[in-house]
Amino acid sequence: MIGTRAERNRMLVVLLILLALQFYVRPLLGYPRIAPDFLLIGLLIYCIRSRPGDAALAGFAVGLVSDALTPSSFGAGALANTLVAYLAAWGRAVFFADNLLVNAGFFAIGLWLRDLVVLLASSTAGHGAAADLLLWSTLKALTTAVAGVMVLVIFRRWLSIRLAE
Amino acid sequence: MGFGSDRSLSRRDTGLFLLCVGLSIGALSAPRAWGEAVAATIQQTVLVPFLWLQERAEEAKTSRATVIKLSTERDSAAYAAQFLPALRAENQRLRQLLGLGQRLTVSFLPAEVLHQSLPTDGQTLVLSAGSKNGVQVFDPVISPYGLLGVIRTVGPDRSVAMTWAHPEFRASAFTEGGTVYGIVGATSEPSTGKLLLELRGVAYRDSIPEGTRVVTSGLGGVFPPGIPVGTVVGVAREEAGWERTYLVRPAANPASEEHVLILKAPHTGSVTGAFIEDSTR
Repeated sequence: MIGTRAERNRMLVVLLILLALQFYVRPLLGYPRIAPDFLLIGLLIYCIRSRPGDAALAGFAVGLVSDALTPSSFGAGALANTLVAYLAAWGRAVFFADNLLVNAGFFAIGLWLRDLVVLLASSTAGHGAAADLLLWSTLKALTTAVAGVMVLVIFRRWLSIRLAE
Repeated sequence: MGFGSDRSLSRRDTGLFLLCVGLSIGALSAPRAWGEAVAATIQQTVLVPFLWLQERAEEAKTSRATVIKLSTERDSAAYAAQFLPALRAENQRLRQLLGLGQRLTVSFLPAEVLHQSLPTDGQTLVLSAGSKNGVQVFDPVISPYGLLGVIRTVGPDRSVAMTWAHPEFRASAFTEGGTVYGIVGATSEPSTGKLLLELRGVAYRDSIPEGTRVVTSGLGGVFPPGIPVGTVVGVAREEAGWERTYLVRPAANPASEEHVLILKAPHTGSVTGAFIEDSTR
C-alpha cells in the first residue's frame, strides 16, 4: 500500500516520468508496434501497491486515455485496463515478489492480457487479430517486460522494492 | 483494521470494479458518434500537453535522422555500416513522400502519424494536422505507396483518420484500366490471419488475374480516382452465378507509416501516375 506522503510523492514522480517516456521516448524507440508500453508499466506499478478498487479506477482512467488516442472501438481499452489493473491488485500477493524474473513476467502477462481483452472487446476479432496477438503483442510484451524491470531497478529505492536476481 | 472494516473495504473494491466494468461496457455499446465525441474531447483537453510532447518527439526523430546522416559521414565506416540502412530507409521514405507531393495534381497537407500502444492502433491514426491547417472530415489520407484511409474526426490541431484496416472502412475501387469495379474493405487471410483487403461485389462474369493492381475509382466523391489500393492475390470466395470476392494485398501499411499526406477538397481530379510504380510492399 502507498502509505506516507513522501511515498505518494515519489510514486507520483515515477508515474510522471513514465508518462513522459510514453509520449516522448516511445516514438523514438523504433517500430511502434513493439515499443514498450510505459503507460501500462506505470499502471501496474501503481496497482501492486493499491487496493483493487482504486486500481480498477486507475485502470479505467488509463483505458479512457488509450481509447481517446485509438478510438476505433471506444471502451475496449477502458474495459481491458480495468480488468488487468484489478487482477494485478488482487495478484500482488503472488507477484509482489522480490524476483526480477517474476516481475518481468508480471509486466509481460499484464500487457498480453490487456491486448487480448482489447481485441476481443473491439469489433475487430478476425481482422488480423490473431496475428496481432501472437506476433506483435508477444514482442511488445517482451519489450515492456524489459523496460518494466529497468524501471524497477532504477527506482527501487523510491518504490521501496528489494530486488533479488 | 477490524474485520468489519475489511469487509466494507472489500465491498467498496468490488463496487468500484463493477462500476468501471459497467461504464466500459456502456462506452463500448454506445453509438460510435458518442465515442468519437468523447475521444475528441479528451484529446483536446487532458491530452493536449502529451500529444504536443509526442509531436516534438516525431519531429526530433526526423531531425535526428538528419543529424545522424551528418555524423555518419564523418564517423568510421563501421559506425556508418551499423546505422546507414535504417537512415537510408527513412530518407527514402521522406523523398518518396516529397516526390509524391510534387507529382500530385490535387492540393494536400503533410502530417505526422502519432502512433499509440493499443493493438487497435492502425485502424485509426492520430495525425498532427487539424482544422487550423484546413483538414476536414472525409479528406483522404495517403502515403507514397497508396491509400491509407479517410479523416474521421477533426480537432483544432490534430485529426483522427480511419484507415483501410478498420472493419467499417469501405472505398469504391476498380482494377487498373477501369474494367472491373468493386468495393474494398478489410478482411483477414483465412490461413494466417494476416490483415488484407477484399474487393467485393465483382460481377461473376468478370475474372481478375493475380497481380492486377486495384485503385480507387472516384465514385462517391470521397477519394479521387487513381490512388493505389493494392494488388489482387487470389479469390476469397464466390457465389456461383452471382459474384466473386477477391483478396487484395494492401499497398500501404497504416501501422508503419510515420508521415502521410492529407488530400484537400475537392477530390475530383485523378491522381493516377503520382504514386510509386510498384506500390505493393
